[in-house]
Amino acid sequence: MKRIMIDYEKCDGCKNCSAACMQAHRKTEGTIYDLDLTDPENESRNFILKDQGGNYRPLFCRHCTEPECVKSCMSGALKKDPESGHVFYDENRCGSCFMCVMNCPFGVLKPDRVTKSKVIKCDFCVNAGGEPSCVSSCPKKAIFVEEVQE
Amino acid sequence: MRYVIIGAGTAGLEAARTIRKEDGSAGITVISADTYVHSRCMLHKYIAGERDEEQLDFTEENFWDKFDINWMKGVKVCAVRPEEKVIVLETGEKVSYDRLLLANGADSFIPPVGELRRASNVFGLRNLSDAQAIVKEAGHAEQVLVIGSGLVGLDAAYGLLERGKKITIVEMAPQILPVQLDAHAAGAYQKLFEDAGVRFILGRKASEAVCGSDGKIHKVTLDNGEEIPCDLVIVAAGVRPSSAYLEGSGIACERGVTVDTHMQTNVPHIYAAGDITGLSGIWPNATDQGRVAGKNICGITEMYTDTYAAKNTINFFGLVTLCVGRIREEEGDQILIKEDRSQYKRAILREGKIEGILLQGDISNSGTWQYLIKNKTDISSIQKDIFSISYADFYHIDETGRYQWTGTGKM
Repeated sequence: MKRIMIDYEKCDGCKNCSAACMQAHRKTEGTIYDLDLTDPENESRNFILKDQGGNYRPLFCRHCTEPECVKSCMSGALKKDPESGHVFYDENRCGSCFMCVMNCPFGVLKPDRVTKSKVIKCDFCVNAGGEPSCVSSCPKKAIFVEEVQE
Repeated sequence: MRYVIIGAGTAGLEAARTIRKEDGSAGITVISADTYVHSRCMLHKYIAGERDEEQLDFTEENFWDKFDINWMKGVKVCAVRPEEKVIVLETGEKVSYDRLLLANGADSFIPPVGELRRASNVFGLRNLSDAQAIVKEAGHAEQVLVIGSGLVGLDAAYGLLERGKKITIVEMAPQILPVQLDAHAAGAYQKLFEDAGVRFILGRKASEAVCGSDGKIHKVTLDNGEEIPCDLVIVAAGVRPSSAYLEGSGIACERGVTVDTHMQTNVPHIYAAGDITGLSGIWPNATDQGRVAGKNICGITEMYTDTYAAKNTINFFGLVTLCVGRIREEEGDQILIKEDRSQYKRAILREGKIEGILLQGDISNSGTWQYLIKNKTDISSIQKDIFSISYADFYHIDETGRYQWTGTGKM
């Protein structure tokens, strides 16, 4: 499967990846130049965390081999696609229980900020075609897509 | 090889999926009393009229065809006879097996108070059939009494509020959600339900309930003598593993069906997974038990190790809560609390380790807490505000890009 690889030592915390993710998933038309960063509906699916030493630690969904989020999903909204290996989320099926948020050991998932009824989850930009937006936007090549064996 | 699975919940169906992956030519039969595959965690959405039966299904599209599984639905099993390797259905029909998985869950427990068990307007909320019966009865009921204010009791109340019913909830403990929350976090939900019209009576028990000539209960008397008029009663007082049909089979049961770490019972070729084992009532655990049972049934040794079950998420009226680990304070605990107008956070620390976390309002990126609590990770050397500890503090990536655990925490 294709996975977003992380060379975290190259990350300088610019958060272009987060802005690109917000842009890729915005509901309104437009470009990154008119993306409203303060609109709570615009949320990023990736996060640049810091450890206690102040080092940047990029947090991106791994689309795990045995995804804990899928195991915990009681509605069938989260499924691992047998072909691509990616874990996809169907918000129409979601029961908004958020057991997936609790069960992701890396803390990648979160409820949406506005309605608290959906899960904010990486979709590998499948609808945008080609490379995930975060990867195309990284100026340091700290994230890149690679084919990995599961 | 003929595999028979009793039960169409997440444990049974995950086992079926796993068996199919391991054994392409296996004959797999699932037998269930349920006539629809349904998620029990969404029954309140059915009662509320937000979803129909089909929208409660948690499986992938064309599940039965896709995995080539034979489903006998609406069928009750009344006995297992290991010496003949058959199960006996209520119809008298026998079904033979080479490997058998017991995954038929649990039943609502109706306490022996007055005539609760006899009355025709008293229901648990466990199966779709319960929810269907509740909806039917609610059609000519105005006043509903819910006994118990755990997640199931509140689910029932939530669903019936949507139908405009007048609801009273009686709870033995001095607060609602006593297993999951502290008094402060519980109070937030109590207020939301009260604002929606629910009346709570806390610290009281039902002590008497007598059927009228119509076979229904029209009032329940509490232990202080107060009488609560009602025309529909929901009992949410917990569940018991559904193992009565195993009596005389030789399959060992204690609280539930006894299993080893491979989900195998004391009887060869018979396994059990999910709520029937009494190990946990938590969905992800049941799924995992089903997966582990499925592997072992196919002869692939796998152990059920991720047994941690003190975990819940709650979402009513858009107020979201996560609680993992211990909730009650004990002597010697260090309690840390952080609160603002949109969130409440509480951590229980002991000897450098986190033993309980409660997050209400904002549970973003909080999955790491379960890992830290269940693995008794030492976090004392992390010089950070405790609530900002994250996976970043244990960050490591392997060559295939998977996250691993390292850092200050001692595993």
